[in-house]
Amino acid sequence: MKYFGGCDVGSTYTKCVILQENGEIVSSVTIRSKINSELSAWAALDQAIAQVAEISKPSDLAYLIGTGYGRNKVPFADENISEISCHAMGVHVTNPNVKAIIDIGGQDVKGISIDKDGTVASFAMNDKCAAGTGRFFEAMANAFEMSIEEFSKLSLSAKNTIPITAQCTVFAESEVITLVGEGKPRDEIAAGIQLAVAKRCFVMAKKAGAKDSITLTGGCAKNEGLKKAIEDVLKIKVIELSIDPQLMGALGAAEFARQKGMDKE
Amino acid sequence: MKVKDLKHLYYFEKLLEEANNELVRQAKNEGGIALGYTCFHMPEVLLNIGKCFSVRLRAPQMGSMEIATYYMSNGSCEYCRALLERAMEGSYKFLDAMAGVDACEAMNRCMENMELLKINDPEKKNFFWTNVDVPYSDDEDCVRHLTEQLRRKILHPLHDKFGVDISESEIRKAVAEHNEVCRLITEIGEFRKIENPVSTGYEFHVLTLATYVCPKYLIIDKLRETLEELKSREPDKKKKFRVKVVMVGSEVDDPDLIKLIEDTGALVVADRFCYGSFPGRQQIVLNDSEDVLTQIVRKNLKETECPRHCALHKIKYRYDRAAQLFEEFHADGIIYEQMKFCTYWSYERTLASHVISEEYEIPTLSIDRPYRSGMSGQLRTRVQAFVESLEIKKIKARQGLKRQGEE
Repeated sequence: MKYFGGCDVGSTYTKCVILQENGEIVSSVTIRSKINSELSAWAALDQAIAQVAEISKPSDLAYLIGTGYGRNKVPFADENISEISCHAMGVHVTNPNVKAIIDIGGQDVKGISIDKDGTVASFAMNDKCAAGTGRFFEAMANAFEMSIEEFSKLSLSAKNTIPITAQCTVFAESEVITLVGEGKPRDEIAAGIQLAVAKRCFVMAKKAGAKDSITLTGGCAKNEGLKKAIEDVLKIKVIELSIDPQLMGALGAAEFARQKGMDKE
Repeated sequence: MKVKDLKHLYYFEKLLEEANNELVRQAKNEGGIALGYTCFHMPEVLLNIGKCFSVRLRAPQMGSMEIATYYMSNGSCEYCRALLERAMEGSYKFLDAMAGVDACEAMNRCMENMELLKINDPEKKNFFWTNVDVPYSDDEDCVRHLTEQLRRKILHPLHDKFGVDISESEIRKAVAEHNEVCRLITEIGEFRKIENPVSTGYEFHVLTLATYVCPKYLIIDKLRETLEELKSREPDKKKKFRVKVVMVGSEVDDPDLIKLIEDTGALVVADRFCYGSFPGRQQIVLNDSEDVLTQIVRKNLKETECPRHCALHKIKYRYDRAAQLFEEFHADGIIYEQMKFCTYWSYERTLASHVISEEYEIPTLSIDRPYRSGMSGQLRTRVQAFVESLEIKKIKARQGLKRQGEE
């Protein structure tokens, strides 16, 4: 049996997926990224490989592809592929009916539309500032003195939405602190934050050519308040994936590795 | 076997490390008159008459742009701010005059601030600033207007201040020298049309940039040697590039940007941008029946590809040119780039990237970028994703042809 790896070294989390020849996932790992991309990749690869009895080191993988921000630092990688292509492929093998993605990573937001074979049809990317990214949510959760998980559910109980006007992460944080200080309901402030990010996602998705449904990938895909904001306010259906959406980049990389590794033989 | 580095590449790279480079200093020591300019709309050849030589301004060694931002605001073109910053740091004190054009608001403000802040060397008593009014179209009224402007604001001051001979014959000599540089650059650029090109877009950009910032007579020999070297240069057997792209857009004087694009697997085969070879390095063909200045001006106005020219026929001309370069250089896609906050190109890029991909059916990537972007991981991701999509299209097209053959 041959195994194929995908390692997605993101700015915040590093993910690794190992597939066997039939495309089934045999191992997956998500760890917090370190300052050094190579060390992050090593750590994720080591943990993922430890879950597969027949292999013991990265060079045992028949083909390995790096992706994400630190994609060119993945040790033993046969090549690297951009996370845009990998997210498209990851979603395609998980659910071929999905045609558009919003990927909210640690430091950017991407809208991606997928061709029928899993390749990228079009994409748009916001990489100018941290507004609407994972870093933005981390800053907002800090302002509320909550964990990300708690914050992501806070807006679900809101009856109204208090709009947040600042797009800049730093200014949005001070706006939130002011609103909290004024005694405004916290869940309604949180709903305003989710709406601001949802609008940014909407723009990216439309720029990339999304029609009436999308799926979310990246760590922020687990944010329930964001999903609700996108569905309720922007009237775009969010399709749930059967596999952890944070793994889509690594899964896509592993699938590319599988296709290329099988072709090689 | 890895392809050998070009013999003079390091030398050309060094010339780009500062505005007052080795060849500029040499020409000054030989009595040359250094004339700064920033835009294609100033006919470069007029700044190379007699002892004059042109230096198109760049901002190498630029750090932060805080002071220029104070004077110009953070919403103005980064190229203009970079020039102002370096001007205040004393980078252009070697210049003997500055030839500006009223082509865009940001550059006007840059020049105005340079003048107000007195960035020129006060010891140069003949130093002069000039600003030429450039028309928005290319009809004969526009040609006459610009011709007169250049006569009054460039040629006469050069004659009056520095005693430069501005006769027809001297201008024709300058055209001949200009044409030789253009011929060499064009011939070197032609190598990018072949299946496995013998030079990279990065190398070509370095050579082309050097021709904009150095006295022509001091660089021609090394360009000739480079052309000869390329004729027998062996490319890598295994192609290093996955796709070929044409770059279209605003000011690019940063070889690291081209390197970043090529590092993702896209060979830059044609350079239609300010400081590129299109249209800046096309020869000027003169007749004997009309005065030479009028002919230079007419060519300049006809061939400008700057989106400040918003007449419909000029917009169509730019789209057609981009498509023509795509065909001629056998490219797989076009990258539309824009200097951050460049007013004209922000409109052009947005529209053209749709028109070119939807009406001309050419795959297009649209990017805006800071003045220096060689280290941008985000930009690298965008370009790499574009390269991957082009590569997959090529593979699919090949598979389709193969299947047709089998049937």
